[in-house]
Amino acid sequence: MSAVAERPMLAERVTLLELVDRVLNKGVVLSGDITLSVADVDLVYVGLRVLLASVATLEEGMSS
Amino acid sequence: MIATAAATAWYVYGVVPAGTVPGGRGVGGAGVALVERGPLAAIVSEVPLDEFEEAALRERLNDRDWLEANARAHEDVLGSFLDAGVVPLRFGTIYRDREEVERLLDERGDSFAAALARVAGRVELGVKVWADRGRLLQARAGEGAPASGRSYLEQRLRARELASSAAERLAEVVRDAHETLSGLAVDGVLNRPQPSELTGRREEMILNGAYLVDASDTSVADAVRRLQEAYRDLGVVFEVTGPWPPHNFVDTEAE
Repeated sequence: MSAVAERPMLAERVTLLELVDRVLNKGVVLSGDITLSVADVDLVYVGLRVLLASVATLEEGMSS
Repeated sequence: MIATAAATAWYVYGVVPAGTVPGGRGVGGAGVALVERGPLAAIVSEVPLDEFEEAALRERLNDRDWLEANARAHEDVLGSFLDAGVVPLRFGTIYRDREEVERLLDERGDSFAAALARVAGRVELGVKVWADRGRLLQARAGEGAPASGRSYLEQRLRARELASSAAERLAEVVRDAHETLSGLAVDGVLNRPQPSELTGRREEMILNGAYLVDASDTSVADAVRRLQEAYRDLGVVFEVTGPWPPHNFVDTEAE
């Protein structure tokens, strides 16, 4: 049985931002052997903001 | 010619009680397994080293499609263990081999066990509140004496009063909502509201909360409905997401 099917709210309405905000920004932070440092993730998050922002602007432009 | 197996590493999603049954599809389409150690088990996937080692990972995180697919896989794997109780790890925790994962559980066992005890049988609910400040101000401006009867200065002063009283009302909503929901939940956190450039929505996010609740407890969801009704006249919108694994309630840096 699919866990996602049991949680319709998660499947339908979750934005990428909502997902990434939890998965990249929260949870236990460990230094694994090959893991990203917190600074690296911050940089990625900054990059993602730009990416998401440009997508949002594009979508808005298309719908107006 | 002897083919050499591609080097692999072990991706760790989170920690669950030993004896839990693994399943589902993980990052990079890999299978999901458990590495057990005493009362705990790490949820793992064996992944290609060249896709997940540090420099490659940093690059791939900037690829929106890759990020979306693998962030969802990470989340779905954690979600499949929600009933068992799961301590989520942040995305991207990788160890060279199984022995290193076992060592992790040995060294951090007490800390993980404590975190697991705090979240067992519980889930996270996300609550966001959106406001349309412009519309609220327009509605307010419509009340009282018509603008044409006022001097320019009076209009300016009134506009400023309206803006500040709207801001106060919205701040009240945020305070009331967070206090009410935190009171009903096991725990609650306030995260920074996200700006429009990120959300892509016209409305402004005024509350970005997460609440840890017993899985069968509907009191927070019920309270959100009541709060929505109570503040209907302000045009604010409450949204609930979840149940999520308890990403916001496992910060164990100090331990």
